[in-house]
Amino acid sequence: MSLKAPPSPASSGRGRGGRAAGPVSRRSGIARLGPLPWIAPVILLILAVVVWPVIELIRTSFLNISIAGKVRGSAGTDKFEKLFEESDFGAVLTWTVIWTVVVVTATMLLSLALAQLFNQKFPGRRITRWALIAPWAASVLMTAIGFKWMLNQTAGVLNTLMLDLGLIDSSKDWLGKPETAWPWMMAVAVFVSLPFTTYTLLAGLQTIPQDVYEASRIDGAGPWQTYRHITLPMLRPAFLVGVVINLINVFNSFPIIWAMTQGGPGYDTSTSMVFMYKLKETDIGESAAMSVVNFLMVVVLVLIFLKVSRWNEED
Amino acid sequence: MVATGAATLCMALGLTACGGDSDSGDSKTIKLVAADYGDKASNASKVYWNQVKKEFEKAHKGYKVDVQVINWNEIDKSVKNMIQAGDEPDLLQTGGYADKVADDLLYKADEVMSAKTRENLIPTFAEAGEVDGTQYGIPWVSSSRVMFYNKDVFKKAGVKSPPKTWDELAAAAKKIKDKKAAETPYALPLGPEETQGETMMWELGNGGGYTDADGKYTLDSAQNVETFEWLKTNLVKPGLTYANPASTDRKTAFADFAGGKVGMLNGHPSLIQMAKGGDVDYGVAPIPGKEGPLESTLGVADWMMAFKDGGAEKEGVKKFLDFTYSKKMLAFDEMYNLMPVTQDALKTMQSNGEHKDLEPFFEVLPKAKFYPLGDTSWDLVSAEIKKTGGKAVVDDPKQVLGDLQKKAESAAADTK
Amino acid sequence: MATTTATRPAPKKGRTPKGRTPKRAFRPRTLVITACAWLLAAVFLAPYLEMIVTALRPKEELRDRTYLPQNLEWANFIDVWKESELGQNLQVTLVVAGGATLLVLLVSLPAAYYTARMRYRGRKLFLLLVLVTQMFQPTALLVGLYREFHQLDMLNSVWTLILTNAAFNLAFAVWILTAYISSIPPELEEAAMVDGTSRFGAMIKVTLPLALPGVVTAVIFTFITSWNEFVMGLTLTTEPDKQPLTVGISNFIGNYTVQWNYLFAASVVAIVPVIVLFAFIERHVVSGLTAGSVK
Repeated sequence: MSLKAPPSPASSGRGRGGRAAGPVSRRSGIARLGPLPWIAPVILLILAVVVWPVIELIRTSFLNISIAGKVRGSAGTDKFEKLFEESDFGAVLTWTVIWTVVVVTATMLLSLALAQLFNQKFPGRRITRWALIAPWAASVLMTAIGFKWMLNQTAGVLNTLMLDLGLIDSSKDWLGKPETAWPWMMAVAVFVSLPFTTYTLLAGLQTIPQDVYEASRIDGAGPWQTYRHITLPMLRPAFLVGVVINLINVFNSFPIIWAMTQGGPGYDTSTSMVFMYKLKETDIGESAAMSVVNFLMVVVLVLIFLKVSRWNEED
Repeated sequence: MVATGAATLCMALGLTACGGDSDSGDSKTIKLVAADYGDKASNASKVYWNQVKKEFEKAHKGYKVDVQVINWNEIDKSVKNMIQAGDEPDLLQTGGYADKVADDLLYKADEVMSAKTRENLIPTFAEAGEVDGTQYGIPWVSSSRVMFYNKDVFKKAGVKSPPKTWDELAAAAKKIKDKKAAETPYALPLGPEETQGETMMWELGNGGGYTDADGKYTLDSAQNVETFEWLKTNLVKPGLTYANPASTDRKTAFADFAGGKVGMLNGHPSLIQMAKGGDVDYGVAPIPGKEGPLESTLGVADWMMAFKDGGAEKEGVKKFLDFTYSKKMLAFDEMYNLMPVTQDALKTMQSNGEHKDLEPFFEVLPKAKFYPLGDTSWDLVSAEIKKTGGKAVVDDPKQVLGDLQKKAESAAADTK
Repeated sequence: MATTTATRPAPKKGRTPKGRTPKRAFRPRTLVITACAWLLAAVFLAPYLEMIVTALRPKEELRDRTYLPQNLEWANFIDVWKESELGQNLQVTLVVAGGATLLVLLVSLPAAYYTARMRYRGRKLFLLLVLVTQMFQPTALLVGLYREFHQLDMLNSVWTLILTNAAFNLAFAVWILTAYISSIPPELEEAAMVDGTSRFGAMIKVTLPLALPGVVTAVIFTFITSWNEFVMGLTLTTEPDKQPLTVGISNFIGNYTVQWNYLFAASVVAIVPVIVLFAFIERHVVSGLTAGSVK
């Protein structure tokens, strides 16, 4: 599948509007509405369920709301100013970028390898592919709680394992300090993103026709060269899909951090989404401002990425 | 296409604009939102409230009660949503009330409770429900804090008696560590769950606290800074407590104690059942202070409050409150081993001999000190302390507490 | 989808032969690959196995540093149903996930089809709009959602959750289906329409079967996402027996304690239906995908 704007239908002799050149008699009034009956349900659903709360959100970011939840009047841009003046704001943003870049990169690289691996024929391929589904089938929240449990200092099985393997000499509270919490949370984020990404790439791999490989083998290309010059380029569409979806999901990721550290201590392990959620406890208007800023960041991020990968050009 | 979109949008907005704000439920239905003190279906608060509802509806025909019980971890967020959406309940039972007074959302206590019921309330609690002298918050349950210790751990470590001062506490913890009698000699939970409670217990030990006699915030007073310096130097650095107290929650501390992994900690009555369930031979003692045990321990109360715009008529709310505050409260207190706020329930619990384990808590209750509950900015300050207070044992206490003080002062200024 | 040059053969139902290749099974390379794959499979399953183990721990052993509990408390898996509204929650989640998936299909298929086939004004705008809405997370929109559905008096209704879950999964479905359908040559539908079928009919009779793998992918994605959705379920339902599984499970996190054994027992119960669904469908996804490669 491709992230590129799907090719405008090669007209094959049709004009704009795409009416089939054919018998005219069946054309009812409906066809004159063009795309409307086809895309209206989607637009309606999005408007009703997504756009309306978004408008509410933007409105809230300009309001002064008491901690009890009562609206006390307009705040103009005060909430945005307050947000930018928060002492933790810079650190939170920096960490958000680091978090996103590290997790997405690791996920994509590992998925490439995994897809390659699971594309091979070997006994038990079906069963091992099933196992791959587990992190996707389970809710991310549950998986994160599970890891938190396993990393617990008193009785977590990961600590026990590491102690027994001699990797550490005393049970550690991994999630208590930012330096050790961040790597673990990133590992969990990669863990839950791998199944979907791997399957996406796997699908891409399996559409590469066999004879392409045959041809390159006849030409004497080694496996690595084949990979670089044949496989990777043909995987590009699937790869791009994976990156964009992961970028959005990881940037907005919430359950993992919330379940494992709640963004603490203080705000040391918070990304912008977690920061937004924590702000709700003290200043709802400011929290809404953070959401707006968050959204703008995602949009910018994805647009930059799309531009860079030249999605619009059919190459 | 754009036109259709715009039309739909206008329709959608119009729909919501004319939707009106308050619930137009009938005025004889009392909407109650309460916190869930349980953690599974068999001890969920819903069980209690459904019982009360049944009995109330039978005794007062014509009235209906709509019960909604929400998990403690979510209730404040849910209530905020409700208020923001204009969907206020009639009665709310949760941990704090003053912020709602600031927005003038509540009835005064004497508007919704008969004089007889009000006189039955234990005075210290009734007073804690006052904002500027007028009572809005109606106490629901109370608890106090004492120090719990594991007798087996003490024996193993050679600690003869529970410590009375901070230095004794540190020494006892050190003994426990040296003899490896417990994984965590002293459990200090300063994570976002209950930092404000743990902090206050320690600050009281040094004559500090959150406010001064005039009610002004003193979060970064010299005594408080000193308290945290002491904690940092004598408990955290030598590894006598959790490695990262700022991210350790009370739930973890309690679970560890019930599992026999902790030597001492500050505890709440619910820990009694947990410890018994874990077969821990526990003992209790007054919380140590710097020079001697605390004279006034931390008292905590949960509250009931009545909203003006809930939709039900005042008469109905009054009837329900009077009904519930009769001996019905005893059942709730016994269900969770919590302490009563009404004088008759207190007398019953003290005299029927079934609550011997609560006696140490009863003893310290009369002199308990509370959070500045009547301060309308307290809820915000408490939320801030929960988020960052724990870092006072990690970073420089003066700075952390100073930041909190600034936030508290601006919150106080905002709500005046 | 990489463009295919030949007409795609109808996807084979049933298994394409793969997997066991008789005599080559023990070449060193295959051995290494097999070992790696099985090791990875173990790693992926490990956290969930640990959840099962914890679910089997009796209360007293929850804080013990042991790999396996000394006593297996099978009763936990039975009690968990009594100690919560798990049965009701399961029903709710089933209805919501199924309903949302159905709704997404009904709504996105026509839109994707038209967008893939027709070059209409605002087409790029439409696709961009859909992508942009994917970037909004429910977590940021909770108050607005609560307010909206409260005013529509739809709190605690399965329909609310069906609508919201469908809406937030539309973007992915539209994009996948549009891309997939674009790669199916239009000639087949042309042929049908020349015979007098309407465009809509052609979509159903001709395109849909060919686009099945794309449809299946959209189905799986939407189903799993709706099944595991948490924050909206938490905000938009207030009664325990109307809440979805994810929220019901979180109720085991109480005020003073966490019922870890019940929590994980319930989580395991929640994972099973999804795995079962996937087991049924996975075969079609893979065979459908391989059908595309030119032999």
